Amino acid sequence: MAAAGPSVFLLMVNGQVESAQFPEYDDLYCKYCFVYGQDWAPTAGLEEGISQITSKSQDVRQALVWNFPIDVTFKSTNPYGWPQIVLSVYGPDVFGNDVVRGYGAVHLPFSPGRHKRTIPMFVPESTSKLQKFTSWFMGRRPEYTDPKVVAQGEGREGENAEAERLKAAQLMLPFSSQ
Amino acid sequence: MNPKEEKVKIITEEFDENDEDAGVGSQKKTSKMARQKRKKPLPAAGPEEMVSENPHLGNQPEPLQEDSDTRPLSMTTRRGPRSLPPIPSASRTGFAEFSMRERMREKLQAARSKAESTLLQEIPTPRPRRLQSPGEKELETEFGAEPGEEAQKTQQEDDSQSRSRVKFRDSVRKIKTKPPVPPGFPSAEEAYNFFTFNFDPEPEESEEKPKAKNRDGTTQEEEEGEEEEPPVQGIHKTDEQLLISATEAEAFLWGLDHAAADFVAVRPADYESAHVRLQMEKELLFVPSRLTVPTYKKLPENVQPRYLEDEGLYIGTRPDVPRTCQNIMENRLLTQEPGRRWFGDDGRIVALPNPIKPFPSRPPVLTQEQDFRAELETLYKKAVKYVHRSQHMIGSGDSPGNFQLDIDISGLIFTHHPCFSREHVLAAKLAQLYDQYLARHQRNKAKFLTDKLQALRNAVQTGLNPEKTHKSLDTTQKTINEYKSEIRQTRKLRDAEQEKDRMLLKTIIKVWKEMKSLREFQRFTNTPLKLVLRKEKVDQKADEEAYEAEIQAEISELLEEHMEEHEQKMEAYRAAYQQWKAWKKAQRAKKKKKKQAVEEHPEEEMGEPYPEEDPVKPVPPEPTDRALMEHQVRERAARSRRRPGEPLLVPELSLAGSVTPNEQCPRVEVLRREDVKRRSIYLKVIFNDKEVSRTDSRPLGADFRVHFGQIFNLQIFNWPESLTLQVYETVGHSGTTLLAEVFLPIPETTIVTGRAPIEEVEFSSNQHVTLDHEGVGSGMPFSFEADGSNQLILMTSGKVSNSVAWAIGENGIPLIPPLSQQNIGFRSALKRADAISSIGTSGLTDLKKLAKWAAESKLDPNDPNNAPLMQLISVATSGESYVPDFFRLEQLQQEFNFVSDEELNRSKRFRLLCLRSQEVPEFRNYKQIPAYDREIMEKVFQDYEKWLRDRNVIETKDHIDPHRAMVAKYLQQVRESVINRFLIAKHHFLLSDLIVEEEVPNISILGLSLFKLAEQKRPLRPRRKGRKKVTAQNLSDGDIKVLVNIIRAYDIPVRKPTASKFQQPSRSSRTFSEKHAASPTTHSPTHSADYPLGQVLVRPFVEVSFQRTICHTTTAEGPNPSWNEELELPFRAPNGDYSTSSLQSVKDDVFINIFDEVLYDVLEDDRERGSGIHTRIERHWLGCVKIPFSTIYFQAKIDGTFKIDIPPVLLGYSKERSMIIERGFDSVRSLSEGSYITLFITMEPQLVPGESVREKFDSQEDEKLLQATEKFQAECALKFPHRQCLTTVTDISGKTVFITRYLKPLNPPQELLEGCPNNPQATAELVARYVSLIPFLPDAVSFAGICDLWSTSDQFLDLLAGDEEEHAVLLCNYFLSLGKKAWLVMGSAIPEGPTAYVLTREQSHYLIWNPCSGHFYGQFDTFCPLKSVGCLIGPDNIWFNIQRHDSPLRINFDVTKPKLWKSFFSRSLLYPGLSSVQPEELIYQRTDKAAAAELQDRIEKILKEKIMDWRPRHLTRWNRYCTSALRHFLPLLERSRGEDVEDDHRGELLKQLGDYRFSGFPLHMPYSELKPLIEAVYSTGVHNIDVPNVEFALAVYIHPYPKNVLSVWIYVASLIRNR
Repeated sequence: MAAAGPSVFLLMVNGQVESAQFPEYDDLYCKYCFVYGQDWAPTAGLEEGISQITSKSQDVRQALVWNFPIDVTFKSTNPYGWPQIVLSVYGPDVFGNDVVRGYGAVHLPFSPGRHKRTIPMFVPESTSKLQKFTSWFMGRRPEYTDPKVVAQGEGREGENAEAERLKAAQLMLPFSSQ
Repeated sequence: MNPKEEKVKIITEEFDENDEDAGVGSQKKTSKMARQKRKKPLPAAGPEEMVSENPHLGNQPEPLQEDSDTRPLSMTTRRGPRSLPPIPSASRTGFAEFSMRERMREKLQAARSKAESTLLQEIPTPRPRRLQSPGEKELETEFGAEPGEEAQKTQQEDDSQSRSRVKFRDSVRKIKTKPPVPPGFPSAEEAYNFFTFNFDPEPEESEEKPKAKNRDGTTQEEEEGEEEEPPVQGIHKTDEQLLISATEAEAFLWGLDHAAADFVAVRPADYESAHVRLQMEKELLFVPSRLTVPTYKKLPENVQPRYLEDEGLYIGTRPDVPRTCQNIMENRLLTQEPGRRWFGDDGRIVALPNPIKPFPSRPPVLTQEQDFRAELETLYKKAVKYVHRSQHMIGSGDSPGNFQLDIDISGLIFTHHPCFSREHVLAAKLAQLYDQYLARHQRNKAKFLTDKLQALRNAVQTGLNPEKTHKSLDTTQKTINEYKSEIRQTRKLRDAEQEKDRMLLKTIIKVWKEMKSLREFQRFTNTPLKLVLRKEKVDQKADEEAYEAEIQAEISELLEEHMEEHEQKMEAYRAAYQQWKAWKKAQRAKKKKKKQAVEEHPEEEMGEPYPEEDPVKPVPPEPTDRALMEHQVRERAARSRRRPGEPLLVPELSLAGSVTPNEQCPRVEVLRREDVKRRSIYLKVIFNDKEVSRTDSRPLGADFRVHFGQIFNLQIFNWPESLTLQVYETVGHSGTTLLAEVFLPIPETTIVTGRAPIEEVEFSSNQHVTLDHEGVGSGMPFSFEADGSNQLILMTSGKVSNSVAWAIGENGIPLIPPLSQQNIGFRSALKRADAISSIGTSGLTDLKKLAKWAAESKLDPNDPNNAPLMQLISVATSGESYVPDFFRLEQLQQEFNFVSDEELNRSKRFRLLCLRSQEVPEFRNYKQIPAYDREIMEKVFQDYEKWLRDRNVIETKDHIDPHRAMVAKYLQQVRESVINRFLIAKHHFLLSDLIVEEEVPNISILGLSLFKLAEQKRPLRPRRKGRKKVTAQNLSDGDIKVLVNIIRAYDIPVRKPTASKFQQPSRSSRTFSEKHAASPTTHSPTHSADYPLGQVLVRPFVEVSFQRTICHTTTAEGPNPSWNEELELPFRAPNGDYSTSSLQSVKDDVFINIFDEVLYDVLEDDRERGSGIHTRIERHWLGCVKIPFSTIYFQAKIDGTFKIDIPPVLLGYSKERSMIIERGFDSVRSLSEGSYITLFITMEPQLVPGESVREKFDSQEDEKLLQATEKFQAECALKFPHRQCLTTVTDISGKTVFITRYLKPLNPPQELLEGCPNNPQATAELVARYVSLIPFLPDAVSFAGICDLWSTSDQFLDLLAGDEEEHAVLLCNYFLSLGKKAWLVMGSAIPEGPTAYVLTREQSHYLIWNPCSGHFYGQFDTFCPLKSVGCLIGPDNIWFNIQRHDSPLRINFDVTKPKLWKSFFSRSLLYPGLSSVQPEELIYQRTDKAAAAELQDRIEKILKEKIMDWRPRHLTRWNRYCTSALRHFLPLLERSRGEDVEDDHRGELLKQLGDYRFSGFPLHMPYSELKPLIEAVYSTGVHNIDVPNVEFALAVYIHPYPKNVLSVWIYVASLIRNR
C-alpha cells in the first residue's frame, strides 16, 4: 500500500438485480443505491442506478425480470458500516402516477462467491384509513424522505409499514483485500 | 405399414423356407428372388421394400400362428435369404447407405420384436404350445454363442465402417471355431457347408436378427420364468450343465444354429434358487431371534436379577426402544459375545438414562422452504411508550420502576360458617377427612415404605451371601448392619403410616354414619355429599399368605433384633456381673479388713457410706419369648393392617346426593337457607397496609363456596411489605362485616406468573354469631346429641385459593423490584441464597446443616433433581472453595478478552472509534479511520487533548479582554451542558422526518382538490408553486447556494466635489432637534455645482460577500440606483457536515456592501490622450447591510428594504436628496434618515430548518397557569395562526417560565442616567444604545438546534451575549425603571423574522425600539423593520393582537380595548401576582479603563497586521500622522454617538492632510470577539486599493461602558498623495 493513505481493503461487487415478484403490480422499475458507514468510500463503479421498466412475464411465475447489473467497488478501513444495498421499486398506479411499490435493503455478502439474496420489500403505510384513501386517490403514497432510511435503524420506531413481496438480487462478490 | 406387418411378412418367409427344410437349392432360389427384388429397392428406403413384399405375405397370415413351433428354426434358416448381401460386384460406395439402412432396419426389428411379444401375450391360445420350445431354443443359441462371444462383443461395438472388415474375419473365424465343436455332429458340418455355400453370409444381418430374436426370447423367457419357475430351475443350472444334458434333437438344432451362435451370446438372467440361496445365506448370515431372552441367560448362573429401583436408588428413564429391537440386540449380544458385560444386574441391557429432553431447548428453525409470506406477515405490536434516558433531563427524578405483582384470587371456601347447619358441619368434616385421605392416598407412603422394606430385606439377603459379593467382609457387615437398622426404622414408620391410614378410614366411615343418622333424624338433606365405600375383592389365599409371610418376616427380624439386644444385654450383664463379683470380693475383703480395723478406725465407718448402695446383683436378661413376640406382632398387625381376606375399602365422596328442596324443609331450615342467600362476600386486597383493589361482591352459594376468579395486577414501586386479603361479608343491605384477614406470603423472586401454583390459604375469625335458625352459628357451643352433651365450638373459618406471582415483562424479564429496594434485614439475607431457593427450599443458609441434612436424609446424589443441591454441598464442604457473595454475569469474560483492558485503551484506533461514536465534535465526521494503529498520527489527538486540558484554563490569547475570555468559557460550558442534555433529542426522529405523507385531509382541502379536478386546465396561466424543501441530511458541498437579489437602493450618499471642498462652510454642531429638520436645500448648491463638471454624483455597485466569496453587481448610476440583479453565492457547511444542527450553528454573515466606483484618469501624459485612455478604478465603501446566515436559514427567504449601515463619517460623500423625493414623500421620509436597499435573499434549494426540541419541559409554574397558557395559545392560534403568541419560555436551565416574570423595572447604569439628566429622550436613546452595544448572538447559534432560551437580564449582562429577546427584555426593563410605559412586542421583523421589539408610549405617540441596533421608529414610520405585531407583553399581562391587521402602521396600541387586544389575565383569570425571575437590582462594575486601553492597542495592532496580510503583493505603508489624527477624532464620534460630526471632522482632517486624497470611514461595533471586527474591516475592502503610493491609516478606540460593555470604533482610511 502506498505510504500516503491508510491501508484499506477493497470490496468489489458484481451482480445484478434479477427479478421480482410483485403479484399485484406490473410495469415496475427499480432503483438501487448503497448505504455505508463513515469508513467506507466508493472507488469505482456506480453508486446508484435506475433500471428499465419491465413487464411481468406471461408464464405462471409472473416474474418481473430486470437483470439490471450492479458493479461497484468500495474501499474501507473498517468493517463497521458494511455497505448495504437499498432497493426501491416504483411503478404506475391506476391513475398513472408513479408510486413506490417497495423498499428493501440487504447487506452486501460478507464472503466472496456467488450469492443470491431475496429481499423482502415493504412500503410505509398511511397513518389512517382516510389518508390511505386520499393517498390512493391522489396518487401520493407515503414515501420515505430518502430510500436510504430503510438501511438505518434510527427513528423507525413509530413507523407502520406494510410488508410486500420479495425480489431477488443476485450479487457476485469477488473479494479482494489489501 | 407398421412394424407388425413386416414381422408377419418375415415369419411367412420363414415358413416357406421351413417347408423346403434346408433345401439349399430352393433356398437359393428364393434368396435369389429376394436378392433380385432387393437390388432395385436398395437405394430406396426400407419401408418401400416392405411394401413391395407386401403381396407376398398377404395370402398367408395364418401359418404364423400354427407354426410357431418351428419358428425358431426358421429363424435361423430365414437368415439366408434375408441377409443376402448385395452382389459382390456391388460397389462399396453404396455401403454407407446400406449400413444406414441396416441400422434403420435394426431399429425396426427391435420395435417389431417388442410388438410381437406384446402381440403374443395378447393371443393366449398359441402360448402354451410354445412354452417349452423357445426356452430350449434359447439354451441352444446360448451355447452356440460361447465360441463366438468375443467376436460378437467387438462387433456390437463396431461402427458401420469396420463392419465390412469384420465380415471377412468372421467368416474366417467360423472355420476356425469349427474344431471346438464336439465331433460326431455332422449337422455342424452341414451347417458349415450351408454357410460356406452362401459364400458371403452377411454378418450384420445375421447378428442383428438373432439379437432381436434373442431379445424376443428373453422377454418371453422372463414371462415364462415367472409362471413356471420350478421346471426351468431344474434344467438351467449352468452353461456347462446344459451342454452335457443337451439332447440329440437339440444337438441338431444347435448344429444348425452354430453359425449364428458364433456371433451371438444369449444368456438367461442369472438365477439362483431361493432354496440354495437360503442355504448359502444360512452359512453366512445370522439372524438373531426376536424372541425374548430369558433372564437367566443374561445373568451369571444362579443369580437373581436385582432391581436397583426397588432398592430405592435413582435410575433415570431408559430411552424408549421397542421391545423387539431390544430382544434382537440381546440375542445378538448373547450369541456373538458370550461375555455378559452388556447386561446389568437386572438382566437388561445396560443403558444410560434417556438423554432426550421432553421439550426442545432451541427455538424451532424455520426451514427455507417455508412460505415466505409467513415471514413477511406483519404483527401488531402495541405501541410502547418510549422513556427517555433521564440523566440528560434536568431535575427529573429517578424513573420509577415498573414492577408488577399479579394476584389471582380464584375463590373462597368456608370450612365453617355461622350459617352452617349441623349437617354442613359434618359435611365439612367429612370433606376435610376425605381430602386428607386423598392426599394420603396419593402419596401412598405405606406402599412406598413397604416396598422400601422389601428392597432392604432383599439387599440384606444378597449381602449375607458371601460368595456373591466380593467386597471386603467388614464393609459388608457394616452395610448389613446399616440396612438392618434402616429396616427397623422403616418398619416402624410403615406401621405408623398404615395405622394412620386405617384410622382415617375408620373416622371417615364414622362421620359418614353420623351424617346419615342426622339426615334421617332431621328428615331433610342439606348437602349433596354422598360417601360410597367401594369394596375391592382380594384373593384371600394369596392375601393371607402375604400377611402371614409378612408377620413371619417381622417376627424373625424382631427375634433377630431381640437376640442381638439380648446378646448385648448379656454382654452388659456379664460385665456388670464381673464387676459386681469383683466388688463383692472387694467388699468381702473390706469387711474382713473392717472387722479387723473396726476398733482402730471407728470413724471410718462414717467415711464410707456409699458401699451401702452397692450395686445390686445384676439380673441376667430374659431370653425373648417367641410366642409372646408373635402375639405382639399379630396384635399390632391386626390393629394397623387390613385383615387378610378383608375386602379393600375405597371411600369415594361424591356430590351426587340431592338436596331436599325448600318446600319440604322445616321452617327453621328454610330460614337458614334464605339467610345464606342474603349473604355475599367480597375480598379487599391490601398491599402494604393500603387497600389497592377489591373483588366483586359475590353471593354465598348454598355450598358455602364463592368463586371470584379475578386477577389483580398490582403495579408497584416498592418492595411489598405485606399482602393481605380481607374477607368481607355483606348480609342483605345491612352492611358489611370484616370476617377475617388472610395474610398472603410475598412470592419468591423466582415465582413468576404462569409458574405460580394455586395455593389455599386458610383463615379463621374469632367472631361470635348466634342465629335464630338452623345455622349453628360461630363461636357458639352446639351439639349433635339430643341431650346436648359432647359440645362443639366452631369458629368461622375457610380457605382462600389464590396465587401470587411476579409478572413478566414483555421481554421476558420478571418485573421484580431490585434487591436494593427490599428492606435490609432478614429478608434480603434470605434472598441472597438464591441457589437454594432454586430448588424450592428457600431460607436455608447454613450450608453445613444442609450438608448434614442431605447426608442424613440419604439424598440420592445421582438424581438430577438434586444436582444443584449436591453441587452446593460439595462446594460448601470441600473447604477451599467458597460460595461467592456476588453474581457475575459473564464468568468467562476474562477468557474471551483478546487483549487486556490497558492494551485496549492504549489502542489509538479504538480510541478514535470511541470518540467518533461519542460524537465528540472534532471526530464526529472523521472519515476512514485507518485500519492499523501505526497509521494513526499522534497529532490527531493533539487538538482534542489540548482542548481537554485547557477546558478549565482560561485562555486570553484569542480573547484580548480577560473578562470576555471568561464569559466565552462560561458560554462554552453552558453550551456543552445544553448540548449534552439534548443529545438524545437530536437522534429523535419524527415520522415526518422519515416518511413523506400527505397531511390528514380535511373537508376543505378534500373539497378543494376535488374541485380542482373539475377545474378547467389553463396551461398558460402561471401558478405559484411551492419550492420543494430539502432535508439537510444528504447534501454535500456545492449543493446549497445563497441567492441574493439586489433590486434597488435609495438615498445613496453622493460624492462631494473635491474642488468645492474648501468652500464648504464649516458648520457648527447641530442640536438634536435640529437634526431632523436638517434642510437638504443646503446641498443643492453643491449639487448644481457638480453637474457642470460632467461627473455623475455616484456610481454605486453592490458587492455581496459570504464566506469569503465575493460577487458584485454591475455599476449603476445616481443616488437611487436600480440593479435588479441576482447574485449566487455557494455555501459550505463547516466540516462538510450538512446536518441540521450543524447548519444552525453557522455563524457566518452575508455582507452586502455598497461601493462607489470612482474612475481616475491616470494618464501621465496629455499627449497620449488622443490615442488611449488610462484610468484607474477605485472603489469607495459607502455602507453595508449585514445579515446573519442563520436568519436566512430560518426565514427561508428575506424580502424587504433595509437600512444601509452607513458610517457616521463618510469622507468625500454627503447625502443627496433628489428634488422629487423632497417634494413628494418628504413627510414620509422626514423621520427616517439614511439610505435603504431593497433585497431578496433566499437559499437554493430550500432547506428545512431544524425544529426546536419537541419536548415539554418541567416547570415550577402552577399547573393551572400552565393549563391556562395552553388554552390561551390554542385559542389565539385558532384565530390567527400566523401571529406569534408567547406565554411561556424556557429559561437557561431548561425550565418553563411564564413570560411576564421576565419583565420588571431594572436600573440602568448610573453613568448613563447622569449623561443628560434633563432630557429623558436622550437618556432613553443612551440606554438603548447601551443595550445595543451588548453583542448579538442568536440562541440558535449557541444552542444549536435546541430552542430559544431566555436568560434573565443579569445573566445576559454576565454573558454579554444574547439574541433579540434578551436585548428587548433588558431594554424594556430599563424603560420601565425610567418610568416609561413599555411593553415587549413579539412580532416579526425584517430581516430577523420572529423577534422581540420594545414599544414605549410617549406623551402622544408610540415609539418602537429595535433593541439590537438601538434605533427607534415612530409607529407610522414606513421604514420600521417591524412588520407585524403578534402580542404585547407587560410586566403583569399579555395581550394578543386580535385586530384585523398586524402591521404596526395599521393597528391601535391601546391595550385597554378588549376588542383589539385579548388579554391573558382578565376578570375570569386574575393576575396572581407572579414574582419576577429578575434580580432585585443590577449591579454594574466600572470597567477597567486601563484594560480597555490595552485592548484598544492590541486590536489596532492585530488589525494592522491583518491588513498587511491581506495585501501580500503590495507594500503597506502606514501614515502615522493621519492615524494620530483619526485617533484623536474617534472619541468625539463616540460622544456624539456618530451623529453629524462630519463636517467639523472633515474640515479638521483637510487642514491637516491637505495634499492627500483621502477616503475612509469609522466603523462602529459592539465588542464581542476579535473575529467580527476583522471580518468587518475586510468587508469594507479598504485593503483592495492597489495604487502604488497608497498609504493607510487605522485607528481604534474603545469606549468602556459599565459592566464591561465596550463600544469599538475603528477608523480605516486610505490616503493617496495628491500631485
